[in-house]
Amino acid sequence: MNLQPKENRLVSPYFAFYLIHTMQVGVGVLGFQRYIAKSAGHDAWMAVITGGILIHLLVWMSYRMLKNSDGDLVAVHEDIAGKAIGGVLSTLFTVYSGFLALTVLRTYIEVIQVWMFPHINTWGISLILLGVVYYFVSGGFRIVTAIGFFSFILGTPLIFLKYFAVKDSHIYNILPLFDHSVTDYFVATKTMTLNYLGFEMLLLYYPFIKHPEKSEKWSQWGVFFSILLYLITAVESFAYYSQGQLKHTIWATLTLWKIVELPFVERFEYIGISIWLFVVLPNICIAVWCVTRGFKRVYSIKQKHTLIPVLILIFAGTLFFKDRQEIDLLNSLVSKAGYYIIFFYIPLLFVLHWLVLKVRRKQNA
Amino acid sequence: MFGKRRQKKQDRSQNQSSGQAKTQLTFEQLMEKCRASKDFVSFTKSDKHPFTISYYKSMVNPELVHKDLIPYLTSCSSLSLKELSQEIPVENIEHTSDVQTIMDSVLTGSVIVQSRPGKKDCLLIPAATAEKRQISVPETEFSVVGPKEAFIETLEVNINMVRKRLPIPELHVKEVTVGKLSKTRVVILYIDGIVNMENVNTLKQRISDIEYDHILDSTYILQMISDDQYSPFPQLINTERPDRVAAVLSEGKVAVLVDGSPSALTGPTTLVEFFSAFEDYFLSWHIASVFRMIRLFGVLFSVLSTPLYVAVLTFHYEMIPTDLLGTLIASRSGIPFPPIVEAIILELSIELLREAGARLPSKVGQTIGIVGGIVIGTAAVQAGLTSNVLLIIVALAALASFTTPVYQMSNTIRLIRFPFLIFAQFWGMLGVAICSAFILGHMLRLTSLGRPYLAPLFPLRITDLKDALFRLPFNRQSLRPMQMRPADPVRFNSQRGKQKNDIEE
Repeated sequence: MNLQPKENRLVSPYFAFYLIHTMQVGVGVLGFQRYIAKSAGHDAWMAVITGGILIHLLVWMSYRMLKNSDGDLVAVHEDIAGKAIGGVLSTLFTVYSGFLALTVLRTYIEVIQVWMFPHINTWGISLILLGVVYYFVSGGFRIVTAIGFFSFILGTPLIFLKYFAVKDSHIYNILPLFDHSVTDYFVATKTMTLNYLGFEMLLLYYPFIKHPEKSEKWSQWGVFFSILLYLITAVESFAYYSQGQLKHTIWATLTLWKIVELPFVERFEYIGISIWLFVVLPNICIAVWCVTRGFKRVYSIKQKHTLIPVLILIFAGTLFFKDRQEIDLLNSLVSKAGYYIIFFYIPLLFVLHWLVLKVRRKQNA
Repeated sequence: MFGKRRQKKQDRSQNQSSGQAKTQLTFEQLMEKCRASKDFVSFTKSDKHPFTISYYKSMVNPELVHKDLIPYLTSCSSLSLKELSQEIPVENIEHTSDVQTIMDSVLTGSVIVQSRPGKKDCLLIPAATAEKRQISVPETEFSVVGPKEAFIETLEVNINMVRKRLPIPELHVKEVTVGKLSKTRVVILYIDGIVNMENVNTLKQRISDIEYDHILDSTYILQMISDDQYSPFPQLINTERPDRVAAVLSEGKVAVLVDGSPSALTGPTTLVEFFSAFEDYFLSWHIASVFRMIRLFGVLFSVLSTPLYVAVLTFHYEMIPTDLLGTLIASRSGIPFPPIVEAIILELSIELLREAGARLPSKVGQTIGIVGGIVIGTAAVQAGLTSNVLLIIVALAALASFTTPVYQMSNTIRLIRFPFLIFAQFWGMLGVAICSAFILGHMLRLTSLGRPYLAPLFPLRITDLKDALFRLPFNRQSLRPMQMRPADPVRFNSQRGKQKNDIEE
C-alpha cells in the first residue's frame, strides 16, 4: 500500500488553516448557543475560550503523534496495536467520520425543512446534495481542499450580519462575570468542545499536506479563528437574547439573521441558508473523503469504489432519521462519540505511541 | 485490458502506414492524377529547349511564370537542370526525383520543370500566389485606444505581425501539419528562455495527436486540444489581436497560429484572463481595475439575476421589502404565467434576437436589434405577457454578458444561465446555491494545458493577483505570472523600478 500520495496531489501547508477551520464551523454555529447556555447561562461564552484552548492542545498532540509516525492514524494504529487490531480501530474511526458527514447533512436538511421549504421531501434534497458531494470528492483531495477554501471566502463575510443585531443588544446581559459554579463551566466546556469536532480528520489527511510539519502553525491559526468566530457569535447572542428567550430558540444564529434589513432585501435568512450550503459542503466532503481514504489505507480498496456505497449509506441514513427528536439523538450520539475520541482516545493514543516508540528505540539501540 | 488497448493502437497505426504506402506512386501516375483536374497545365514551350513545365494554374502566380520562368527556359544555353536552376532568379529551387516531395510542393503552388518528358528528376520552383485580404481593424476585440490591427487568414502575415512586435531570435516558430485532407499548417510560437518547455511540449504533443480530416480554423484546434472537451468553458484564449499575442508570449505563454484562421490561441490560461480586455493595459491602472471589476460584476449579474428573480418570486416572496413589493405587484398583476415561464420566454427571445443579429448582414442586424429590443419588448409588456421588471432584468443581463471581452466566454455565460434557471425553479435560492456549487466544482476540476483554471484564486497565488481581478500599475508587474511556471520569471529589476528620489533631486 502506498503511504505517500503523489506530489501533484498534495496541498500547500497553509491550506491546513482552511481545512481545520471549515471542518469546525458547520451547522453547529447556527444553534450552539442554547446548548452551552443550558449549564453556564450568560457566562457560557467563557466556555468557548476554555474549550478552544483544549482543542489547541489536542491539535498539538496530534501533530506530535503524526510527526513521529510519518504517516496517518492508520500508521499510528499499526505501530501500537499491530496490523489486525489497528485495522479494526482505524475502521471504527472511519465509521465515525461517516457518521459525522451524515449528522452534518441531516441537520442541514433539517434547517432547510424548518426555515425554507417546510414540505420538501428529505430524499430529494439529500440526493441532490450528495450529488454535489460526489462531484467534489471524486475530484480528489485538492478539490475537497478547494471547497474548504471557498467556504471560508463565502461564509466568513456572514459574520458582518451581526452588525444588525448589535443595535438592539444589551452588552450588560453577559454581566455579572463568574456567576456560575466551576462544574457549570466544566459542563459548558464539554458541550462546547463538541462544536469544535472535525479537526480530528487531520489524522487521516495529514500525509496530503506538503511539508506537513510546517502546517502546524496554520492548523493552530485555524482553530484560533474558529474560537474567534464562535466567541463573537456567542457574545452577540447572549447580548441580544435574554436567557429565557435563548432557552426556546433552537437556531439562535438563524434567528439573528432574520432581523437583517436592507433596502432591497428582507428576511436575510433565505440567502444565509443558501450560502450556508458552502459552509456545510466542506464538512461533508472532507468527512466522506476521509471515509474512502480510511478504507483504502486499511483494506486497499480503491477510493472510487467505496465512494458510491458510502454515499448510498449516508443517503439511507438521512432517510432513517425523520424528526427533530431523532435528529437530536443522532447529534448527541455522534457528539458523545466525538467527545470520547478527542478527549480520551487521542491523548491515550498519544501516550501509548510515545511509549511504544521509546521502547522500540531502546530495543534498536 | 491495457495490453489489448495498446494492441489495437498498434493495429491502427499499422493500417495507417499501409495506407500511406499505397500513395507511393510513380511520377507518371502522379501526372495522370493531376491531369484529371482542369486547372493543371503541362506543356513544352519550344522545340529547341524541350523543358516541360507543369503546374496548377490556380495555385501559382502567373506573373512569376511569365516573367521569371519562361524567358529563362527558352534562352538557357544548356539542357541540364542544374544549370537552369542557377539561372532562374528564384530562391529555394529544389532538384529532386522524390514523388512525394513533388506532389506536396506542386499542390502548394510550385512549378515542375523537367528536362524532357520521360525523365524522373525535375526542378521544383516555388511560385505560389499569395492572395490575401487587407489587414483590418479587430472586430470582436475592438479597442478605443491602442493598435488596431487584427490577424488575417494568411499565416505568414500573421507571424510577421507578431515577430514585428518581438524582433528577437528567441521567438521560436515550430510548424506542424495536421488534417488528413486539409494539410493545415499549424505553428506554435513561444519565446525560448521565458517559456516553460513543458507547456510547449504538451501543446505540440496534443496538436500532433490530432486526427481529423479537415482543420479550417484555430477554433477547431481549440476544441480538439482542450483538457476537458466536454466542458462548456473555453480552456484556451482565442484572440484576433497580434498585440495581445505578443504580450502573452512575453509572459511566458504559448501561442498557436493556424493557416487560414484570423485568430490565434494562447495558453495556458485562467478564468480571470477571459475577463481582461487587452485595452486594460492601455488605460491607467485605476480605470482598468474598475472596468475589470465591472466586468466581473457583469458576469455575476448576467448569470444570477434572472434565476434569483425566479427563485424569489416563486418561493421567497417574503424577502421583498414592502416598498418594493408594490412596484412588483403592479408590474406582475395580470401576467398569466408563473415567473419561470415568463423568464424562459424572455431569455429565449433575447437569444433569438442575438442569433438573428449575428446571422444577418450588419446593417440589417442593427435594425433587428432595434425592432426586437424596443418594439417586441414594449409590445410584450403592453400585451400583459411579461412584467416590465423582468424585461429590465433580462435586458440588463444580456447587456452584461456582452461585456466579456472573449467571445467564446460570453457564449458560455449565456448558456450556463439556463441550468441556474431550472435549479432556481426547483429549489429556489437553495437551488441557485447548489447549481453554483456544481459550477464551482467543475471549474475547480478544469485545467488549461495541465495548469489549474481557477488560479490565482485557487490555488491562491498572491503575487499573481496583481493582474487578475484588478490590474496594478506597471512598476508592480516586475514578475511574470507564476501560473505558467516561466523559465525566467523576472520581467525587470523591481529595485530600480521602486527607487524614489528625494524631494529636491
